[in-house]
Amino acid sequence: MRKTILILLAFASLLCHSQNRPLLYNVDDLPQSLLQNPGARIDFTKHIGVPFFSQIHLFAGSTGVTAYDIFNDKNPNVNQRVARVMNSITSGDYFSVNEQLEVLSFGWKLGQRGYLSAGIYQELDVFAYFPKDPAILAFEGNADYIDDNFKFSDANFTGEVLTVYHVGYNYKVDRKLTLGARFKLYSGIFNASSTNNEGVFRTESTPNGPNFYRHYVEGLNVVVNTSGYASLKEEQGMTVDQAVTELLSRSFFGQNVGVGVDLGFNYKLTDQFSVNGSIQDFGLMFHQKDVENYHYFGSYETDGLEPLFPELDNDEKTIPYWDVFEEELDANLTEQTLNDPYNTWRPLKYNAGFEFGTGMSILPCDYLISRRPRFMNLFGMIFSGVNRPKGPTYGVTAYWDRKINNKLRFRLAYAIDEFSLTKIGLMISKRFNNFNIYMAANDIIGYTNLAKANSASLQFGMQFIFKNYSSRTKNINQAKR
Amino acid sequence: MSHLKLLKIPLTGFFLCLLFTSCFKDVDFSQASDIKLTPDLEADILVYQLNLNDFIDSQTGAYTPVIRDTVRLEFLDDDYVQEGLMYAAFRFRHKNSFSQPILSKIKFLSNSNQTQFSVNYEIPAGTKATPGIVDTLYVVEGADIVKVRRSIQMVLELEMIGGGKDIGGELDFLSKGLFKFEF
Repeated sequence: MRKTILILLAFASLLCHSQNRPLLYNVDDLPQSLLQNPGARIDFTKHIGVPFFSQIHLFAGSTGVTAYDIFNDKNPNVNQRVARVMNSITSGDYFSVNEQLEVLSFGWKLGQRGYLSAGIYQELDVFAYFPKDPAILAFEGNADYIDDNFKFSDANFTGEVLTVYHVGYNYKVDRKLTLGARFKLYSGIFNASSTNNEGVFRTESTPNGPNFYRHYVEGLNVVVNTSGYASLKEEQGMTVDQAVTELLSRSFFGQNVGVGVDLGFNYKLTDQFSVNGSIQDFGLMFHQKDVENYHYFGSYETDGLEPLFPELDNDEKTIPYWDVFEEELDANLTEQTLNDPYNTWRPLKYNAGFEFGTGMSILPCDYLISRRPRFMNLFGMIFSGVNRPKGPTYGVTAYWDRKINNKLRFRLAYAIDEFSLTKIGLMISKRFNNFNIYMAANDIIGYTNLAKANSASLQFGMQFIFKNYSSRTKNINQAKR
Repeated sequence: MSHLKLLKIPLTGFFLCLLFTSCFKDVDFSQASDIKLTPDLEADILVYQLNLNDFIDSQTGAYTPVIRDTVRLEFLDDDYVQEGLMYAAFRFRHKNSFSQPILSKIKFLSNSNQTQFSVNYEIPAGTKATPGIVDTLYVVEGADIVKVRRSIQMVLELEMIGGGKDIGGELDFLSKGLFKFEF
């Protein structure tokens, strides 16, 4: 029966979502759970990550299209498929790439109730909505879209590379409540963002007008902010490799800074049932150095060029209508390059969940309270989201967390989010004495053929985790043996 | 517990196999080079509204039955036209309420004033109530598209047939192009 349940769960429930990492959320013997929820319950007393390898997180996803949708090798007409995708995808669909590399990670028990953790990680985050209207204009033109608006607001993206220095404190208030907070100092390496754009381009039929159509650009207001880009651009002849090297050289001493906090809690309503929640990256980046902003604004309309049939002498040149048109265009649709500082919110992530434990066992856990019941099976659900320019992206994950023994643990999860309705994820964490290695992958079904997957993510890491239980606990364990 | 212990090796193995054997299947990324942008752009070109004053010399007051003008269409020299234009359909519409027919000549010239193609027709006489209308579609495609790519000047010539200073009416001109590209 248990096998049946396991198999059913394995096949009926495995995936999770993007920047939130529900497979590592509230895993009490992994320090990474403190990055998801600084108020998570933990059962270790010290940890130190293997530099650069304590957490490697990779995620890529797109909500509206897969590689298979475009490059299916059974149908040779790739342009037909591109057209089909263009019709089905919406301006609310998005592409997202997120990468995190933990450079340093360490922590230790502080006092009887606290745990201090700190570290450094580097993060890359790119999030772009599908620019539907500009893409249709480029791929199909305006001929089939007379009287329709092409919205500049569809161009909406953010991208950043930064290094994060963080220190957090986890505090067990009492047997039921654990609180935590993490302070973050962001060091910006590169940022580009263009959100809240406005304006439309429209070709309007004018049966009573002077010409067949009237072309409008109305209320154009497009801003692209960049930091860390201008200096790269100025480097003449810089290759991609050189640009990457330059960016990496800024990893530890980026020019722009920001601050943020993570907050979280865990509350045990009963011995078996607990609720928890957290917010991550509630913070701002202040872009003040190496800043370049591109601003396009204005309105213009035209019915075409109007020749005036001037009276000219034989050698006299006619009116330069095109030059006049371009001057008008430049006067009404303006392009400015500025160096104005700007601020950006970090993408706020939030998690809320509950967890129910069964299969009570006495294992050495909870470093503050030596004889706490420990549940070998944990069933939980997490609601998570990330703030994005057009509104939050959401996901719901249900999981079964199983501690097979004190050294091996896995979590099986099923999630629904904007990428997929059948997301199955698996996390395995293994200890060899004090050395821990873990791996987690979301969208396991997608891994069988990444071309058909809307998203995939992977977390991998290794570290030393120490559990120095109290002598009382040791005695209990010895007595049990 | 023991059942689960038995599962740990196959479970871990399955997981690792899945990760390390994951790949892109049933796709051919070389098709990326076949992806084409094929926008069809509709755009107004020229527009004018003429009356008798346009056929009268402002200096001498003499009637000039032939008037002409040249408009440079610089966009025809842009890279996207030179490299991607595959088809052009020009639509010219004249509405004549003069009591005289008018001969219209539209010529597309290269930078060196070589005629690439021309569209000539007579606009019948009309009245304000029932103007003479000519609606012309001129399509350039296939090998002939180079004629559009070479063009950069559009020359308009109007010749009032007969008539004099005592005529009245208006001549309206509408024009647009449908340009099909392939990149």
